[in-house]
Amino acid sequence: MHRVLLLLPTTTYRTHDFLDAARTLGVDIVCASEKPSTFESHAPDNLLTLDFDDPDAAAAKVAALADRRPLAAVVGVDDLTAVAAAAIAERLGLKASGRAAVAAARDKYQMRQCLAAAGVPVPRYRRIALKDDPFLAARGVAFPCVLKPLALSASRGVIRANNVDQFIAAFRRIGALLARDDVEARGDAAQFLLAEEYLPGIEVALEGLLMGGALHTLALFDKPDPLEGPFFEETLYITPSRLPADIQASIERVTAAACSALGLAEGPVHAELRVKDDGPWVLEVAARSIGGLCSRTLRFGTGMTLEEIILRHALGWPIASLARERRPAGVMMIPIPRAGRLTRIDGVAAAQAVAGIEDVTITAHVGQDVVPLPEGWQYLGFIFARAENPAAVEASLRDAHARLAFTIA
Amino acid sequence: MSEDLKGRVQELIDTMINPAVAGHGGFVELIDVQDNRVYLQMGGGCQGCGAADVTLKSGIERLIKEEIPEVAEVLDTTDHSSGSNPYYSAGKA
Repeated sequence: MHRVLLLLPTTTYRTHDFLDAARTLGVDIVCASEKPSTFESHAPDNLLTLDFDDPDAAAAKVAALADRRPLAAVVGVDDLTAVAAAAIAERLGLKASGRAAVAAARDKYQMRQCLAAAGVPVPRYRRIALKDDPFLAARGVAFPCVLKPLALSASRGVIRANNVDQFIAAFRRIGALLARDDVEARGDAAQFLLAEEYLPGIEVALEGLLMGGALHTLALFDKPDPLEGPFFEETLYITPSRLPADIQASIERVTAAACSALGLAEGPVHAELRVKDDGPWVLEVAARSIGGLCSRTLRFGTGMTLEEIILRHALGWPIASLARERRPAGVMMIPIPRAGRLTRIDGVAAAQAVAGIEDVTITAHVGQDVVPLPEGWQYLGFIFARAENPAAVEASLRDAHARLAFTIA
Repeated sequence: MSEDLKGRVQELIDTMINPAVAGHGGFVELIDVQDNRVYLQMGGGCQGCGAADVTLKSGIERLIKEEIPEVAEVLDTTDHSSGSNPYYSAGKA
């Protein structure tokens, strides 16, 4: 039986779906997390503790295991594990993008340098040290701008500033966020932030799979809620895109160019772009698949999940079809409206009863302290819909969301 | 046969599984054994935990199958959305 190493942070939403896919494929899974499992001593060949922030140490530990029990593939399920997964794959000679390319994609400053050097459209940017005087730093920036940490994801710490006062406030807020105990920022990511030009326009996300350096688009999502700041909370993802075919084609071309510029060649990619009058501009290209539970909107061929495709690709197994099902689909990541303790959840049955709604999954629990953006990093849950056309999907998601009531004390 | 199997699974839960998950404030209850399938429910820190699937599949199921080879599958019947004190909470990354 083929053995696959999954890097599963204890905080990821993706565990269930990847384990389901592994079971469907009949592969033996080795699970690695950053904290020890309660069963690690009972199953040392299948449960590992790895420091994802130390890719060399992680690769050495996995290599020792693989000497005894060979591994056929390694998959990092999200941003936190992407570089460690690439380092392990490199050490074991498994299929993956190169470690340097994945590390460049993980650092927003390095990413912009690579893309700009290759002529890929990116916003004007500057890296600024957190020890600098924000008043002086603001003098070198054009407004409006967006300040963001170098390595956090899910829009955490991303703040728009329209003037010097807002710049200084955002600068200090990001500095405080990066100093928090629950934020894993090391090296440059703990010492710098990125200030970049704010790009007006609509935003899209492209989900793709790189095979031998060629980008295969799996889905292009519209994000119909305006993302204009001051924070950039992602809510709705709807596919297929309603943009004209020529613009969709240009989004794919620019994303492929960005992957090539970074040196990414194998595995899933998740790209986010702004579409202006003059074409698409790249905001991010991450060497991982879509986050949260959002992959549940996607089905391929005769019902294959995104996780099955990722595992099959990593194993070098054939994939019958990368074509997404024809029926439009979408997800709403339910935002956290304000900070506090979640004390009550109402309306789930009513939301589930809305036409077109496939599922409502509440991931927050009663009693949980919830934190909105820009400091927060979680959602209250996810709503999934399928319908005859993208507009109907969007309407169902908005209707279902309106029926949910979260009491936060 | 099923009662015997149930007894052996229960003993394993009492002696090996619950002592292990107790470290994270969790516990496991045996709901039933039917057709060599073991139905469990997870509680405490395991209910709604972001690592519950790993604990179940790579920990509990593996242990049960090793100790009692006639067990075909271990199934989780827990309503994880009702968990009020999960040991790990998921977030988007």
